[in-house]
Amino acid sequence: MRAEPRAVARRPDPTSLVAGLAIAAFGVVLLLDATGTLDLRFAALAPLACGVVGVILLASGLTRRD
Amino acid sequence: MLPAMSEDTTTQTPAPAPRRLKRSSSDRVLGGVCGGLGAYLGVDPIIVRVVAVVLAFFGGAGILFYLAAWLLVPSDDPTAKAAPGRAATIAGVVVLVLAVGSLLPFRGDWGWGAGGFIVSVLLVGLAGLAVWRLASGERATGGGADVVRRAGLGVALLAASLILAIGGAWAAATDGATTIAIIVILAGGALVFGAFFGGLRWLIVPALALALPAGVVAAADLDVKGGVGERVYRPASAAALRDHYRVGIGRLVLDLRDADLPPGDHRVRVEAGVGQVLVLVPSDVCVASKAHVGVGATEVFQRENGGVDVDWQDQRSAPHGTPRVIVDGDIGLGDFQVGENERRDHGFDEGAGVGTNDACGAARRG
Repeated sequence: MRAEPRAVARRPDPTSLVAGLAIAAFGVVLLLDATGTLDLRFAALAPLACGVVGVILLASGLTRRD
Repeated sequence: MLPAMSEDTTTQTPAPAPRRLKRSSSDRVLGGVCGGLGAYLGVDPIIVRVVAVVLAFFGGAGILFYLAAWLLVPSDDPTAKAAPGRAATIAGVVVLVLAVGSLLPFRGDWGWGAGGFIVSVLLVGLAGLAVWRLASGERATGGGADVVRRAGLGVALLAASLILAIGGAWAAATDGATTIAIIVILAGGALVFGAFFGGLRWLIVPALALALPAGVVAAADLDVKGGVGERVYRPASAAALRDHYRVGIGRLVLDLRDADLPPGDHRVRVEAGVGQVLVLVPSDVCVASKAHVGVGATEVFQRENGGVDVDWQDQRSAPHGTPRVIVDGDIGLGDFQVGENERRDHGFDEGAGVGTNDACGAARRG
């Protein structure tokens, strides 16, 4: 009797997942600014951009340690 | 009979091996230098990496130190020595070429120029390697040719991203901000999809290249629809004075010194995407002004403000019978200047010609 091949669950890539969510969130902010819902200033952009890049790099670095 | 004491019954603990600095083969980003140094010093390698990055901004000391250590410090992987042509060899050759090139006693077109070129190529290559590492998640292992190939692919991705960044910023500054924002959201969604099904990690760098410059454009309120070049307007009367002047990229000069302005308020809005707005007024006219500059400076009657998100406001009331010009400026990237004369170098005269806006009465400066 042959054993059925066990399906291996694919682990999501944390870097892509975090990057996707962060970039999508950044895009939403850009969209809100473009539609006039909010007025994006550098005072908000700087921490936002650093946050996006930072979480991506962090996710990339932590992934490598697995 | 006593037992023979021929054997030494005391136990001797082996002397601890001298601690040696080695490059880490298990905790490495490029050559394992920071990982090895962190283990040697007993600190978190991330701290060492942060210090190395900070040192990289001090004349490239961090980069040179890293490459030298990559070349000189042995790896803790005993099989590493058996693999000639590894990345360390490449880095060593590059460092030696850099050192020799910097010491060449040439002048003019050679010498430091050649050294600078080599440094530039080296930095671009390292940036490419880092970009490819981030995009692919693969480590820079293997032979020198493989490292060069990865660096080349990274540089290509970097170049494509640069083109994307410029194109995206231009589109965002010309009525395409909504489209760019939607594309960024879709790219983020594609990355989330790719996280589960694979193959889209390379999209991180282009998506960031598109999103971040678009963010700068949005924060600066950059709008380059007004054309490119220098616009000079000299209205002769209040009737000829428009309520709105604009330039996309360039210089906008609104010269009111010869305008015949009757008493009362005259409102004018001036806009520039990238460049300079210069409003020249006669000395017998009161000027109230306000402006927003995304990145740049305001210079209104010798009072200067500069930086990012510059908001200028100078509300003044004019005495009865005195004309008042109310200027509203909006500059994305550049300068907003108001005065009585244009400076001979770049702005206004340093002397009394600049004007003090004495035609106004009480002042309330914002």
